[in-house]
Amino acid sequence: MGATEDSYIIQVKDLRKTFHHGRVVALDGISLNVPKGQVTVIIGPSGSGKSTLLRCINYLEEPDSGTVIVDGMVLSEVENINEVRAEIGMVFQQFNLFPHLSVLDNIVLAQRVVRKRSRQEAVEIALDLLKKVGIPEKADAYPGQLSGGQQQRVAIARALAMQPKIMLFDEPTSALDPEMIKEVLDVMLELAREGMTMVVVSHEMGFARNAADRIIFMDAGKIVEDTTPEQLFEAPKEQRTREFLSKILH
Amino acid sequence: MATIESGSDLVGHRLSAAERRDWRFLALFLGALLVLLAYFAPMFPYRIIQATTRFSKGTTIVAHFPVLIYRQHFIQARHPLKEELRDVQVRVAPVGHAGSGWSWLLALWEYPSYIPRLFSYLLVLLWPVLGALGALLFVGQAWFGAKGLPERWIPLTIYLTGLGPLALVLAWFHQFDFSTRLLALAQGSLQPRVGFWLALVGTLVMAFAALALRRETRRAVGNWWILVFVIGVSTWLLVRFKPYPFLEIWDFIYDGILVTLRLVITSFGFILLVSLLGGLGRISRSRLIYGIASLYVEIIRGIPLLVQLLFIWFALPQVFDSFGKLLIALSPALEKVGQWWIDLRLSPFTAAVLGLTICYGAYGSEIFRAGISSIHHGQMEAARSLGMTYFQAMRHIILPQAIRVILPPVGNEFVALLKDSSLVSVLAVSDLTRRGREYMARTFLSFDTWIMVALCYLVLTLFSSRAVEFIEAKTKFEH
Ligand SMILES: Nc1ncnc2c1ncn2[C@@H]1O[C@H](COP(=O)(O)OP(=O)(O)OP(=O)(O)O)[C@@H](O)[C@H]1O
Ligand SMILES: [Mg+2]
Repeated sequence: MGATEDSYIIQVKDLRKTFHHGRVVALDGISLNVPKGQVTVIIGPSGSGKSTLLRCINYLEEPDSGTVIVDGMVLSEVENINEVRAEIGMVFQQFNLFPHLSVLDNIVLAQRVVRKRSRQEAVEIALDLLKKVGIPEKADAYPGQLSGGQQQRVAIARALAMQPKIMLFDEPTSALDPEMIKEVLDVMLELAREGMTMVVVSHEMGFARNAADRIIFMDAGKIVEDTTPEQLFEAPKEQRTREFLSKILH
Repeated sequence: MATIESGSDLVGHRLSAAERRDWRFLALFLGALLVLLAYFAPMFPYRIIQATTRFSKGTTIVAHFPVLIYRQHFIQARHPLKEELRDVQVRVAPVGHAGSGWSWLLALWEYPSYIPRLFSYLLVLLWPVLGALGALLFVGQAWFGAKGLPERWIPLTIYLTGLGPLALVLAWFHQFDFSTRLLALAQGSLQPRVGFWLALVGTLVMAFAALALRRETRRAVGNWWILVFVIGVSTWLLVRFKPYPFLEIWDFIYDGILVTLRLVITSFGFILLVSLLGGLGRISRSRLIYGIASLYVEIIRGIPLLVQLLFIWFALPQVFDSFGKLLIALSPALEKVGQWWIDLRLSPFTAAVLGLTICYGAYGSEIFRAGISSIHHGQMEAARSLGMTYFQAMRHIILPQAIRVILPPVGNEFVALLKDSSLVSVLAVSDLTRRGREYMARTFLSFDTWIMVALCYLVLTLFSSRAVEFIEAKTKFEH
């Protein structure tokens, strides 16, 4: 690729991560560069290390070795990791909304304590984002009163409220009933269209086809194949990729 | 086609003719009328307008209306001046309008400056009337009100009418104290008359009818507040109508109650702090902090509270002493610091707070640990992924949710602390228990003293358990 080092917003080099004192190898030498504005989809069998990779990118998980550089900052060296994390939005499979706060306060809270915005400003941003994800009328509801799809859209709004440079999605639709998947994917598609840098762990092949610039297939802590969606769906190079695709596309 | 009325249960439906003739409504109605009418008949035709108590060495105590009989009794029984009671003389005067309930209420109004002392008089005579008016209003609502039976007022009606008989019996006690000589002196003029008995029957009928209505409501009618109330009132009655020795015991242990409360509340504040720190320590990733917190919890939970208190009170000064001497021996430059340690003395109160905090902090740490770790770790991750620090996430996300889990056991701890605080009486803290012991040592009235002390603790603990329940209910949120 013609991009220089600096134009990559995420640079991952030789990442290794083990659990249980080295007995479980989750990431086994991962290197990955993501340019600004790119939408990357990661697929792979269960336990292949997809979640761990995402969690290493915002240092929720500290790697054993290797470096992660986000927006020019080397994560192992930054003084205040929280400042970096505020630039990286993350959306979880289980939504992880704060059940004791209203939808509005879910989106407002971090803006206030991390970004130090005034309540008024934070509320304005939150209401705008709720409109954007299509549920402005739910501002005063509590997470427990929402459907799964609505909760996940609130979670996306909550992450976006920090005005992050990167969004990480860890299987955002796999805890949802089929009829709710589309409403969440639509929001993500819209984000991709706006040029957000996104790393998405998802087996929604429709989304990968429509929005992804790049697809990565991981297995056993390694990147097996790193290519475009067209290439992957038409002619996967690796045998393991072919086997995996045949399973998820039946 | 049948039309479905909205809320077709009792809340929103109109009573049928048959339902209106329901005996419970009729009884409530008639009972209320009886009370209001009975107040026109003679109730207590006379009142004591003056009581003169004379003692053997010539001291005379004169009390004017309202003569609170229990006070008179108290003055006589205690003979505080170490004199023998010689005699008591009372003067009675008729109450206007043949001493009916209404004229009593009016007569009481004539002495506004006495209102604080008259308050209980006023209340006991006014209460049955309030109950009757409330019952009439309720029945009227049920019969003529557009919304039918006001189901949500049933519990209130039961309380209001249920207290009526109690109030009347109290009114009688005001006039008629079995154990006092005043009665004999007043020669039966204080005996209740027909109006009183009719009013009593009326309130009983009302209370019975209201109670029979309780099946018509889904609201809980009985709750544990009633137990608190009943025990509180019993204690009060005991003090009031058997002033010797109970009023005396009460006067004696009263400051002990305050000390106990001050001790428990102060300690509880520190306990919450220690528990929070201990709980955070127990989930800390740092081995050192985890180790210290665990050691604290394990050791303290293995030693009885009484032994800990004794250690702090008797052994700790010796530890301070040795420590000070060690400092002085180490270097002459530390002379001052060493002397400070040698001179350090804890007040009994401080020692008690320290002991209770250390002990209960250990149990509290476990409660906080369990509460915090019951919150799904995804909550912490979501908070951290937004850029919150560990402490921001704790404060805004984890603790507010953990509180719900923590509150019930912490509330139980508070009640347990209230009871265990009695152990500090070994440290020369003049708490409720110690005051009780002191009183008993003086008078050898063991039964009366300890029943009074037990009742005081009971009222406090029952009240706090209810309060905890109330707070719990308030902190629930949609899930
Ligand atoms: N916190 C942890 N403690 C111990 N082992 C872990 C932890 N997190 C992940 N692992 C292990 O690391 C490996 C990779 O896990 P990871 O969650 O990254 O896989 P994944 O590709 O996201 O799988 P899935 O599709 O099931 O989510 C697995 O073997 C898993 O058991
Ligand atoms: Mg995963």
